[in-house]
Amino acid sequence: MRFRLVRYFTLASLGMFGLVALSLIYFEREQSQFYKQTNDEQLAFFGDVQQSFAKQQEDAARRDLLTIHEAGNVNLTRLFANALWERDFAPFVAQVQAIDVTGCQAIADVTDDKGKKAAPPEKKACFADIGKRIMALPGFKAIDAKVFDSMKKSTVFKIKVFDLRGITVYSSEHAQIGEDKSFNAGWRSAAFDGVPKSELTHRGKFSAFEGVVENRDLIGSYLPVLEPGSSRIVGVFEVYSDVTPFLKQIQQTSGQIRSTATDNQKKLGEAAAANQDAVDATSYRQLATIAGLLLLLFAALLVIVRRAEKIIQQQEADRAHAHQQLAQSEKMASLGQMVAGVAHQLNTPLAFSQNNILMVKDALQSMELPMKVAGRLSSILEDVDGDKVTIKVSQLKANLDKLQEGNVDVTMLQEMLKDVLGGIDQMSELVVNLRDFTRLDRAATTNADLNKALHTVAYIAQTVLPKNIELVEEYGQLPSVECNPSQLNQVFLNLINNAAQAIEGPGRIRIRSFAEGDQVHVEVQDNGRGIPDDVLPHIFDLYYTTKPAGEGTGLGLAIARNIVTEHGGDITVSTRIGVGTTFTVTLPVRQEAPLAQAA
Amino acid sequence: MTRLAGKVLCVDDEPGIVRSLQWLLQKQFEVFTATSGAEALELVKQHDFDVVISDQRMPVMTGVEVLREVRKLSPRTMRILLTGYSDMQAIVRSVNESEVFRFINKPWNISELPKVVAQAITIAKTQPVETPAAEIPEDAPIIANGERILVIDDDPEMGRAVADLVGASAKVSYTRNLADAVGILNNEDVSVIISETRVGTIDATRLVRLMKSKHPEIVTVMLTGESDADTITTLINQGQIYRFVPKPIRTGYLKLVLQSALRKHGALVSDPALTFRHAVETTSAGAMESLISDVERAAPQAETAAAAKGGGFMASLGAGFRRLFGAG
Repeated sequence: MRFRLVRYFTLASLGMFGLVALSLIYFEREQSQFYKQTNDEQLAFFGDVQQSFAKQQEDAARRDLLTIHEAGNVNLTRLFANALWERDFAPFVAQVQAIDVTGCQAIADVTDDKGKKAAPPEKKACFADIGKRIMALPGFKAIDAKVFDSMKKSTVFKIKVFDLRGITVYSSEHAQIGEDKSFNAGWRSAAFDGVPKSELTHRGKFSAFEGVVENRDLIGSYLPVLEPGSSRIVGVFEVYSDVTPFLKQIQQTSGQIRSTATDNQKKLGEAAAANQDAVDATSYRQLATIAGLLLLLFAALLVIVRRAEKIIQQQEADRAHAHQQLAQSEKMASLGQMVAGVAHQLNTPLAFSQNNILMVKDALQSMELPMKVAGRLSSILEDVDGDKVTIKVSQLKANLDKLQEGNVDVTMLQEMLKDVLGGIDQMSELVVNLRDFTRLDRAATTNADLNKALHTVAYIAQTVLPKNIELVEEYGQLPSVECNPSQLNQVFLNLINNAAQAIEGPGRIRIRSFAEGDQVHVEVQDNGRGIPDDVLPHIFDLYYTTKPAGEGTGLGLAIARNIVTEHGGDITVSTRIGVGTTFTVTLPVRQEAPLAQAA
Repeated sequence: MTRLAGKVLCVDDEPGIVRSLQWLLQKQFEVFTATSGAEALELVKQHDFDVVISDQRMPVMTGVEVLREVRKLSPRTMRILLTGYSDMQAIVRSVNESEVFRFINKPWNISELPKVVAQAITIAKTQPVETPAAEIPEDAPIIANGERILVIDDDPEMGRAVADLVGASAKVSYTRNLADAVGILNNEDVSVIISETRVGTIDATRLVRLMKSKHPEIVTVMLTGESDADTITTLINQGQIYRFVPKPIRTGYLKLVLQSALRKHGALVSDPALTFRHAVETTSAGAMESLISDVERAAPQAETAAAAKGGGFMASLGAGFRRLFGAG
């Protein structure tokens, strides 16, 4: 297949550029994705941090709220204790101590479905019963009224009082009186450790002093009651104060912080998106720039390659032209050699024919007088009747030498003319062979008798070869071969000439032909010097010659092989140094494709 | 009919040619024919031929080979080579190996050929034969007695090579232009001329041919780089040159040639009759005039000693030519 520079270059470079572009796009995408991922992660982290800040802030606020209210409740309890304990609650609690609760406390707790210990209903009922007995105690109503009175319009929603057994001695919510809180962590902390314990809770429904309230945030504190003037714990207060507005404020603040954080998050997200877009745009610009540069490079290279191809084509054309000219000059050289040989061959019969004819002409001229004399004598004899004639010979005697000169040997003249005819035969044989060799007046491709063609070539070659080279022709029976005889003549003449050049001094060239299947073989064998090993592989190479520069074109065998190959045949060589060389041309009897016309 | 008692042998592998030659020559001479070299040599051994005419292109033995053998077998026999087409190598060999008397081209002129043969027979019959020179080994020293050798060549290397070869035994004059050569030939007694066929742009063969026709005792050796067979044919027929030395020159061969040229000159001088064996064809008319005009045209450009002599040079050149070659 022909090498197509521009096409291959275009395909290869465009393919390569495509690959480069694809990999660039791939890496750009990877980079963009990585950037996006990092951005998202940063955003998420930032969001988390903000949320965590908001939560911490709220937690801190709640803790502060709790601490402040606990402190408030502690103070309140002190006040309350100072105001009510000594006079009202201490005797009341003492009364309650009389009620035995051990029976109720002895009732075992049950474990509910969730694994949590809870008081069974009979235990609750037992304590509720105790509660009723407490409320039935004298002084309850007065205490209750006093508590309600003092707590009205305050932030305290509920007050409970426990004795050191954990029994609810008093509750502003009466239903709770009698309940056992001895297991409550807050109560235990206050009763046993003297440490207040507070808790922030949200209650959907709550029975406050003012009645039932809904949706309230409350801080409940278990507070130890110390005997005035001592540090002895005598009971536990539980105070519920309403912090709903404070908590609302806290929640509002934290909501604000959250919304700011969300805003920030959003802004950050937008900035990230903008950055991403900018990065993407930059990378697209980058890609576009690289693609543009690559295209520019491709265009420049294409121009160079196209120019190069043009130059190469021009050179190829020049080479083909030079080759054609060389082939032509090779043909002319062998033609010239042939013409010289033919001229010499013609020269020999021409020389003796010319010589003989000139001599016969001279002889005929010298015979003119004797013929005249003979003519006169015959006309005289015609007129004479008798046997004797008298002729005056004085004039004849004067020309005696001329008469004698005319007494030529006619047989010799005939011999001379016979030689001339032989010479003419030689010349016409040469002309016929020349015509057969060139075949200018015949069809290019024909069914030819190769033996006849070989003989013609041998005849022509003989005219050029030194006479001490013997040409032996051994032709076998051949079918007629479809070929271009003019071209094959050129091949055979070339082989014979080569063979002759391989012979120094006397030698022999044997030309053989034989048929084998649907092929014919022609062998040209010489007993010359043979072809050296280093030369043998190159003998069919174009321009390869062992002759000095200017003497050989190196085209002879290359053209010969070309011609034979075009005939669908083959040309082979076998050689032995000092023994000789045999070239064998093998040709098919029939051609598969029509033969090219050019030589 | 007068029949010269001359014996001629015609050799050609083509019977038509020998028969034709026989018919042409048999009126005047006793003609023998042979159609191969072997047959011819057999006849030469049996008969004493005055002239052998041989075709060059023959199988087995070429004409040059036949004539070389004839020269060995019968030195007094004059040798004529018949050539159909020009083969430079054969011609050079015929000059150097066979010392042929004439080249005859086919087809021949039927009035000229008998005359050439007659001249050859006369020479063969009347002129003494030089004793054939013994084979000279290549390493033998050159024997000379102060002869003058004139070398005419564009390449000064040639003059040096010849001078180196002969050493002090002979005088060597070298020149690169023909005007100087004419001057030297006028003033000196030249024995051997060694000349290139072309000197500068001028065909030097005319000088050699003219010299030989007037001074047959001078032995001429031609150096040639080109292979123009016609030039050499003309040189042998009109110049009777003694040897051809193809360029590039091989020193050993040049020495051999010089050796035998000096010897030949010695023989020619000691027996002037020998020079008839080297009789030349008449040089074509006008050759001298054309040579003089060529040399005069080339002379102003040549840096020659003679040119330095000034105004009288042209006149003296023409006079020199005339003195050398006799009246024009």
